[in-house]
Amino acid sequence: MILLVILIPVIAGVLLFLIPFKKRSQMEVFLEALVIINSILVWYLLFHRPAEIFTLANFTGNLSISFKVDGMSMVFGGLVSALWPFATLYAFEYMTKEEHEKVFFMFYTMTYGVTLGISLAANLLTMYFFYELLTLVTVPLVMHTLTREAILASRKYLYYSLGGAAFAFIGLIFVIIYGSTTNFVLGGVMDLTKIGERTNVLLLIYVMAFAGFGVKAAIFPFNSWLPDAGVAPTPVTALLHAVAVVKSGAFAIIRLTYYSFGTEFLKGTWAQTIVMLITMFTIVYGCSRAIKETHLKRRLAYSTISNLSYILFGVTIMTPLGMAGALTHLVFHAVMKISSFFCAGAIMHQTGRHYVHELDGMGYKMPAVFGIFTVSAFALMGVPGLAGFVSKWYLASAAVESGNVIAFFGIGCLLISALLTAIYMLTIVGRGFFPQRDFDMASLEGIKDPNWKMLLPLFVFTFCIAIFGLYSGPLVNFFTSVAAGVY
Amino acid sequence: MDFVQNFPAVSILICLFAGIISSGLRGRAARYINTVLILTVIFLSFCTLGYVLDTGEAYVYVMGKFPAPWGNEIRAGVLEAFMALFFSIIMLFSMWGGIKKLGDEVEDGKVFLYYVLNDLLLSSLLALVYTNDLFTAYVFVEINTIAACGLIMIRQNGRTIEAAARYMIMSLLGSGLLLMGICMLYDLTGHLLMSNIRGQVEILFASGNYRIPLLVTIALMSVGLAIKSALFPFHAWLPDAYGYSTVSSAAILSSLVSKGYIFLLIKIIYRVIGFDIFYNSRIINILFVFGLMGMIFGSLSAIKENDVRRMIAFSSVAQIGYIYMGIGMGTQAGMAASVFHVLSHAATKSLLFIAAIGLTDVSGGSRQFIELTGAAYRNKWAGVAFTVGSLSMVGVPLFSGFISKLLFAQAAVQNNVKMLPALIVLGISTVLNAIYFMKTVIRIYTPVEERSYEGVKFGDMKLYVVTLVGFIVLNIFLGVSSQPIVDLIGQGLAMFS
Amino acid sequence: MHYIILSIFFPVLFGVFLLVRKEMEHRKNLLIAVSIAFIISALLTILALCLSGNGMFTLFNLAGRLPVLFKIDEISIIFASMTLIIYICAGVYSFVYMKHEEKEKRYYGFYLIVLGILIALCFAGNLITFYFFYELLTISSVPLVMHNRSREAIMAGLKYLFYSLCGAYMVLFGLYFVERYGNTLTFSAGGVISASAAAEHGEILLVLAMLMLIGFGVKAGMFPMHAWLPTAHPVAPAPASAVLSAVIVKAGVLAIVRVIYYIYGVSFLRGTWVQTAFMVLSLTTVFMGSMLAYREPVLKKRLAYSTVSQLSYILFGLAVMDAGSVAGGLLHVLSHGFIKAALFLCAGAVIYMTGKTRVDQLKGIGKEMPFIMWCFTIASLGLIGIPPTGGFLSKWYLAEGALSSGICGFSWIGPVVLLISALLTAGYLLPVVIQGFFPGEDYDYGALQKKEPPLFMTIPVLILTVLSVLIGLFPEWLLNYLSQIIEKII
Repeated sequence: MILLVILIPVIAGVLLFLIPFKKRSQMEVFLEALVIINSILVWYLLFHRPAEIFTLANFTGNLSISFKVDGMSMVFGGLVSALWPFATLYAFEYMTKEEHEKVFFMFYTMTYGVTLGISLAANLLTMYFFYELLTLVTVPLVMHTLTREAILASRKYLYYSLGGAAFAFIGLIFVIIYGSTTNFVLGGVMDLTKIGERTNVLLLIYVMAFAGFGVKAAIFPFNSWLPDAGVAPTPVTALLHAVAVVKSGAFAIIRLTYYSFGTEFLKGTWAQTIVMLITMFTIVYGCSRAIKETHLKRRLAYSTISNLSYILFGVTIMTPLGMAGALTHLVFHAVMKISSFFCAGAIMHQTGRHYVHELDGMGYKMPAVFGIFTVSAFALMGVPGLAGFVSKWYLASAAVESGNVIAFFGIGCLLISALLTAIYMLTIVGRGFFPQRDFDMASLEGIKDPNWKMLLPLFVFTFCIAIFGLYSGPLVNFFTSVAAGVY
Repeated sequence: MDFVQNFPAVSILICLFAGIISSGLRGRAARYINTVLILTVIFLSFCTLGYVLDTGEAYVYVMGKFPAPWGNEIRAGVLEAFMALFFSIIMLFSMWGGIKKLGDEVEDGKVFLYYVLNDLLLSSLLALVYTNDLFTAYVFVEINTIAACGLIMIRQNGRTIEAAARYMIMSLLGSGLLLMGICMLYDLTGHLLMSNIRGQVEILFASGNYRIPLLVTIALMSVGLAIKSALFPFHAWLPDAYGYSTVSSAAILSSLVSKGYIFLLIKIIYRVIGFDIFYNSRIINILFVFGLMGMIFGSLSAIKENDVRRMIAFSSVAQIGYIYMGIGMGTQAGMAASVFHVLSHAATKSLLFIAAIGLTDVSGGSRQFIELTGAAYRNKWAGVAFTVGSLSMVGVPLFSGFISKLLFAQAAVQNNVKMLPALIVLGISTVLNAIYFMKTVIRIYTPVEERSYEGVKFGDMKLYVVTLVGFIVLNIFLGVSSQPIVDLIGQGLAMFS
Repeated sequence: MHYIILSIFFPVLFGVFLLVRKEMEHRKNLLIAVSIAFIISALLTILALCLSGNGMFTLFNLAGRLPVLFKIDEISIIFASMTLIIYICAGVYSFVYMKHEEKEKRYYGFYLIVLGILIALCFAGNLITFYFFYELLTISSVPLVMHNRSREAIMAGLKYLFYSLCGAYMVLFGLYFVERYGNTLTFSAGGVISASAAAEHGEILLVLAMLMLIGFGVKAGMFPMHAWLPTAHPVAPAPASAVLSAVIVKAGVLAIVRVIYYIYGVSFLRGTWVQTAFMVLSLTTVFMGSMLAYREPVLKKRLAYSTVSQLSYILFGLAVMDAGSVAGGLLHVLSHGFIKAALFLCAGAVIYMTGKTRVDQLKGIGKEMPFIMWCFTIASLGLIGIPPTGGFLSKWYLAEGALSSGICGFSWIGPVVLLISALLTAGYLLPVVIQGFFPGEDYDYGALQKKEPPLFMTIPVLILTVLSVLIGLFPEWLLNYLSQIIEKII
């Protein structure tokens, strides 16, 4: 069953490439149906979790490719499988203006399977395996337009990701050697008797592995691939570079920190201080770069960089509450950012405009898209009543509870970043709805909202943002119990 | 004595005979004989492997009637048999992959020579693998060198002759050092058979006499073999030799010849000097440092390279650095990792060379990167194969490179002092590998606007495709079900001592 | 209970409804709809005030332990009634004024939304609810500032937005900690900080208190984060400026009241460096605002600077934490509200009828618009603090409270600064009046035209002016009421 949900998308992707569809609509129906079926299967799996570990193959020694559904998998797998059908629907409409659709959808669908693989992995090796695969299947997506820019971007993406994985790999080795088991166990698997005197070495390795996985989560100074990768078609940027890929990085770090090295081992050490400072710096850095950026998608990408480090900040607090906060932001940010990216994509699709200063007065021509964009902007800023506020609340509250002074400054970083977020998001909203007096509205003639395939995902996401913001109790309780190891 | 026990000796001998016979034949016939020969050797090695696994211990086969300590011996254990099997498989694939190119690059009248050299090379490799006699090893090292020179020169243009000359000089230097080492050992111990030397060395070591000569001997032999297998500062001959010779030569040279020497070194370490004594000499640290430097500088040179073949050649320097790093780690795990990497690198590097030739052929024969743009669309199989090889080199899970990286890292962790440098260099070198290999992969998948070169069809390259598929399968096999092979290596190493 | 919800959500929803509806064909329909909305919301609010009693009412949980909670106490009543009165006066006034601006529908939409949010702020029963609506207030009042879409207005709107958010985030920083260290977030007279937390984390809590005060002080135009106010208030349409300057800034004041007296508690803050710093800041602002106003040639900007100064009177009163000064502060909330609204509406009337904005253009304006200028004069006197207006009374109490508080130094520096500032106030307001009525000999009486504005404009001005005077004339009831509150919180 677990294998099935990973394989269906991969096989579907290959089939898609092989089957000669007569009409585009046939392909759409085929793909959407498969994606939805797979999502349903995933959700079924999450609710009927098999208790034992499913082992697919043995590598050397006690290393195996095995899968298990635990709390973290439920969060990430559930998130991914909930978003994917919508993103696919959106992609159908968006890709009408791009070439080589088939190749695109092939890799796009395969990515689904690989991402699920990451979320369902039962040990560090399996996760690493899918983590590398993820890099590989997403490179063609970044390269899609095959312009010079796209190729440079994908090269960069590849170098960064593989390089990062190389260092994460070292961490993997240490967990294998010094851990009592390679499977994920909440609280860590480090065998203290084996470690003995070598605590500092292990901490160094943790920092290296953090940075390694952090490449995908775009921590400073390994973040510059993410804005560049924005040359990919928007469904990719939205789903992969705001959710699947980058969150895999964050997910991997959670696995590394909470399930492999263990917070007990790391908490209060210099390693914690270093990684926390890195995330804090990234939070502010991402935002300030976003303000300087005039390209809409790149701006959002920088915003992603900053927000990912929110998650990682939560992770580095290294308390159950911190993890719960991180998970909350992981899910909420996914919805918010995908929504804003889809709006950006809709604008590009309908008008071909890419830059912020070209958006004057569009709020009147595309009220739905801009309205939704406004909501997501508010949510990202953390206006109460929307999702962003809640997740920030939990992050900050965890930081307060931890009593760690650096974490207190981290809260300050969160808030500075919130202000900067307001600046870079609301200037866009302001342009959309309040063009200057002498602006010529006639120049926007013929621009209108996109059709339902694009709007439906947008509305659903907006609805989610509001629901999460107003009534997050059960969900957050679930995250808290995941962090407490109930699942 | 079981009949099977004859097989190692037989396989060496039939190779020599096949070489002699081929020298009187025309190209096509020589090719058939060669193919049949390799298949036979594969079969024989396979039987030997099965036999050794079955009995669970190595056996010594006495050549001629003279018993030890005078006679010549062959020793077959799990590792030897497996190496022989593996080498001959790689040999077969490399041959097949380069056959077409061979016809283009080598004068018709000289094709048979190529097969003669090939047969000799195979025989010398098998001898290196199986022999239990140091002097025999030396003899076959020389045969190997000469055959390799011939393989480089067989494609005649100015550069290959220059390359062959260089190779010759460096190689002879290496074998000279080896010979000196062997002489000194003979002086010290009075034996040439490995097992006998070992016993004497142990006694010497225990007595505390002749420490320095012993150290010098170890150094001479290690450095001699290191030069021959192109360890980092001694690699100057390598890029030209691999880069300009005909493709199957390059594949064979990079994946087999240098590996043969490495295997010999490992054998010397275990069977002649003894692992502990070797470990206690400081030579091991030198090998380790050179290995690390090779990993970095080889890759850096590869990044700078603008010629795809030479780039792959430089990558070999880096990979050999990995192997020596493993040896230099001085642990059983490191050694096992090195042996595994010998296999994995052999499988991958020849794949890369052969895939690269497919790509350059559809790019007007040019090896410059700019011309390779879009080559993967013109020759799809080669493109896929090159991608697989690159991913394996970078160490992506599912391919053999990952497993060797995993084993190296695991071995590194067990060594306190060498852990951090090894791990960090491993990480950096992975990044560097990713840079140059992925750059190439992206380049070949970048479409070109105007269709400048013709593509090839499947029908024109059946054998080539079979080879590629064979290599890919081998690679993935090593990557996915590595457990039995790692066990095998462990078993084989255990039999050494 | 339901009236609370209704009084908050009716204006908000009505405003949203106006925004999403298509342009109405007749302006009249729009105005009728808006006036009905005003009446209904006024009624609902009054009902809520009268009927709700002192109960608490939880709407829903924002997240975990964060209930959105409403409660009506005496402070709510004072602020809510002031808001309502000024809001409706300015609203009626804008029926005429907005004729010469475009996109009226949008204006009224946001105007109503802001009304609902202001009411919600008054009724908010805990800090998180307050914060919730505080941010919404910022966001929804920006369109009022940006309304005429000139470059200036847009930049001002953004400046307002970012300053306010900056303040809000400073508050949020404190909020995170208070939620952890306090017993509850519900406003309760005397503070919620638990004794153990106060002992353990005293220093951090003080730093946070300072942050929160500065943060909320942004809205109240307190130095060092005051710069947005003189930029943003004048560019809005006059009724909006009136509302901004008289009511919306009071949200900041209300917030500070809540933080000092209902969250931290007087006993925790009194005598700490936070109190000192806060007093210094507010006195600085008082003086600086007046000086800047004195130098400002544009009338509306001058009034905005005056707001900066006057609000800090209130803040100073709150900072002293003495019964008298707090009473003075709260009294000044009311009187400043009425006065400043009246002044802005007068300035708006002048702009509407003559298009003149600078003070030096206003020579003889008193002859052209005597009624408006009389109101302006009376309001000015109130702001300066001349008896018997409300301004006099509140300043009296402020000074008296400061003197009796016995805080070393400030007990006399405070009143002195207030006095100097009152002089400056006279200096920047009275010349307008004097020049308006006594234009001098070279004034051309021949060109004089009566330009009295329509009734819809004059009546609101009149009501506000009269109210400001009434506070001064009949203060007993109000003072009693205030002393009840103060008894509880000090």
